[in-house]
Amino acid sequence: MPRIACRFALLAAFLFAVSAHADDDLKAGKALVYTCGGCHGVTGYKNAYPNYHVPRIAGQNYDYIVAALTEYKKGERAHPTMRAQGEGMSDEDIRNIAAYLSSLKP
Amino acid sequence: MKFITLFLIAAAFSGNVFAAEEGAAAPGKSVQDLAKTCAACHAADGNGTAAQYPRLAGQYHDYLERAMREYKTGDRQNAIMAGFVKTLSDADMDALARYFSAMPGKLDDLAKHEQGSE
Repeated sequence: MPRIACRFALLAAFLFAVSAHADDDLKAGKALVYTCGGCHGVTGYKNAYPNYHVPRIAGQNYDYIVAALTEYKKGERAHPTMRAQGEGMSDEDIRNIAAYLSSLKP
Repeated sequence: MKFITLFLIAAAFSGNVFAAEEGAAAPGKSVQDLAKTCAACHAADGNGTAAQYPRLAGQYHDYLERAMREYKTGDRQNAIMAGFVKTLSDADMDALARYFSAMPGKLDDLAKHEQGSE
């Protein structure tokens, strides 16, 4: 019986670890994402040059969004508009944005 | 003897075919075959849940193609992706982008999710 309790404790610990983004602020993320809607919120919207669709970001995976925004912030990804956006974001902003975007379901 | 000559001609000809497709590392590979490599991280249905890898299913195909192109030129830096795209021709990248884009996905434009709606 104690072994089972132990397993439950482990499971609980695991679940808690998975939701370790709990300290991310969805509300703050949502407020920040308002800006993103200017391009990412327009269905079918395209970059002027070169001409390709602005990607769908609602529902994208958390860590990938953090990595992408951090790369823009550091100037490691080329897109000028996104670089400019990234420059103004703190690491906390980035995590909050990622938490909100990854929480969205179609 | 005739057979051997024919074989040599055929071999020489197929060599030319390959040369004509320069840049295509795997001539004749179907998009399904190509996609198997992607599936290791992005999942076969393009909806990988490992958070460090982006979901591909339902993404705009021209954006996916653009991303692969940028990994090739170095405008986007990722050691894993750079290695894979090196083996892909323009036609391969186009085919893969359309393949994953057409899959039913969880990605969406932000349009429905702006302030006031979840």
